[in-house]
Amino acid sequence: MSPRTPTEFVVLGFESTHDALAAEDLIKRAGIPVVPIPAPPTLSALCGIAMRLEPSHVIDAERVLDEGGIRPCARTRILDV
Amino acid sequence: MTRASGEGRDIIYFDHGATSWPKAPGVVEAMVRAETDLGGNPGRGTHRMAIDAARAIFGSRKACAELLGVADSRNLLFSPGCTHACNLMLKGVLKPGDRVVVGSMEHNAVARPLAHLLAQGVDVVIVNADETGYVSADEVERAVKAAETRAVVCQHASNLTGTIQPVADMADIARDAGAVMLVDGAQGVGHLEVDLGALGVHAYAASGHKGMLGPRGIGLLYLDPEMELDLMIEGGTAGGSSSSLAMPDSRPERFEPGTPNVAGICGLGAAAGFLGPHGPEQRRLETALVRTVHEGVLDIGGFRVLGPEPGVPRVPVVSIVHESAAADRIAFELDKTYGIACRAGLHCAPWGHESVGTLETGAVRLGVGFGNTPEDVNLLLDALRRIVA
Repeated sequence: MSPRTPTEFVVLGFESTHDALAAEDLIKRAGIPVVPIPAPPTLSALCGIAMRLEPSHVIDAERVLDEGGIRPCARTRILDV
Repeated sequence: MTRASGEGRDIIYFDHGATSWPKAPGVVEAMVRAETDLGGNPGRGTHRMAIDAARAIFGSRKACAELLGVADSRNLLFSPGCTHACNLMLKGVLKPGDRVVVGSMEHNAVARPLAHLLAQGVDVVIVNADETGYVSADEVERAVKAAETRAVVCQHASNLTGTIQPVADMADIARDAGAVMLVDGAQGVGHLEVDLGALGVHAYAASGHKGMLGPRGIGLLYLDPEMELDLMIEGGTAGGSSSSLAMPDSRPERFEPGTPNVAGICGLGAAAGFLGPHGPEQRRLETALVRTVHEGVLDIGGFRVLGPEPGVPRVPVVSIVHESAAADRIAFELDKTYGIACRAGLHCAPWGHESVGTLETGAVRLGVGFGNTPEDVNLLLDALRRIVA
C-alpha cells in the first residue's frame, strides 16, 4: 500500500456542537465536500467537532454558512491525509 | 381501530389526553435504531458513532423546529418532558418579589411550581376561567395592568375541558406591559396547528408524547431568541470547553446538560416528520370524532359535558360527569366490561376542576386521538349508555 501524501486543509471551528452540525448540514446540502474531525489544538474553538475543507472550497462554504446564519468562531490550516 | 391485548382481550384506547397510543409510524423504529446503530454519546468524542448520534439529534431538533414554526432550531430545547420544561421556564424567570398573572385552569405542572414559588415570595395572581374553562384575555389584561407584572402564564388548552385559551392575545398583552408570556402547551402541539414563530410567546413548553405522537419521557421548550432563563441544572455538555466551570453561553447546549435521551429524541423526530404531512388530516378526524362523542354523550342523557358547546373548537378531550353514576365507577366499568381505556379523577388539574365546579366529583375524561375511528366512538357511546341505564 503506497503512503498517502499529506495535504493542506482548512479547518473551521464552532462555538457549539449544534453550530458544527448545522454547518456540516448546510455545506453538504450545497454539494461541497466536508469532513467532521476532532478540533485540532491549534483551533481555539469551543466545540470539539470541527469541519475540514479543501482550501479551494472554503470561500463557497463560508458563503453558504453566512447565508445560513452560522458563523465559524475559528479557522486554521492543517496537514492531513 | 386502536387495539392492544390486555388480560386476553382487546382494548379500545381513549386516554390520549394522558399519552398518545399508538405512536406515529416510524417512532419505535427510530428509537430501536438509536440504541442499536447510534451508540456513543452525542457531542462527547468525535468518533463516527458519537458524531452519528449527534447528527441524529440535530436532525430531530430540526424536524421539530420545522413542524412548530421555529426558524432557528437552536431555540428549541429537548427536555425530559413538558413538566420539566414548565419548571425550567417558571423557575428560570420568576424570582421572589415578582408578580405573575396566571389562568385558573392550569395543570399541576404549572400549579405546583407556582405554589413553590409563592412560598418563596412570588406574588401569584389567578384569573378565573368561566364555566366553560375559558380564561378571558380581557380579564388577564385587567390583572396585568393592576400592578407591575413579570410574567403571564397560561396553558394553550385545558387537559380537562379541552378549552383553547387565547394565548396569542395574552402574549400581546404581556409584551405591551413589559412582561413575558409563558405557555404550557402540553395539550396544544399536535392537536392544534402551532406556529411558535408567529404566536408571540416568550417560552412554550410542549409534550412529546401526547399530540406529537412521540415516546414518553421527552418534551420540548421553545425560547424566544431574546429570552433569558436562569439555569436549573448545570453539568457536562456537548462540545464546549470542558475546562471551564461555566455552562456554555450557546443554545441549545446551555440548557441541555448531561447525556440526552437519544432514543426519545429520535422517536420524537420521527413523529414530527409524520405530523408534517399528516397532521392536518389527523386534526380534521379528531375534530369530527370529538363532536360525535360530545353530541352522543348528551343524547344519552344525565351527563354534563365540561368545556365549550358542541361545534366550538376544542382540543380532543371530552370530560363528562353523570348525575348519579360516579366517575370512577364509570371508568372502571368501561375498562373491565368493555375494554375501553380512559381516565377518571382530577387529571392532575385540581385548579381546573375547581374552576368548573367538579372538584368534589371529578370527571371521566375521554381523550380522542391517533388511531381512533368512528367505530371506536360508536362502541364507546353504546358502552356508556349501558353503564348508566
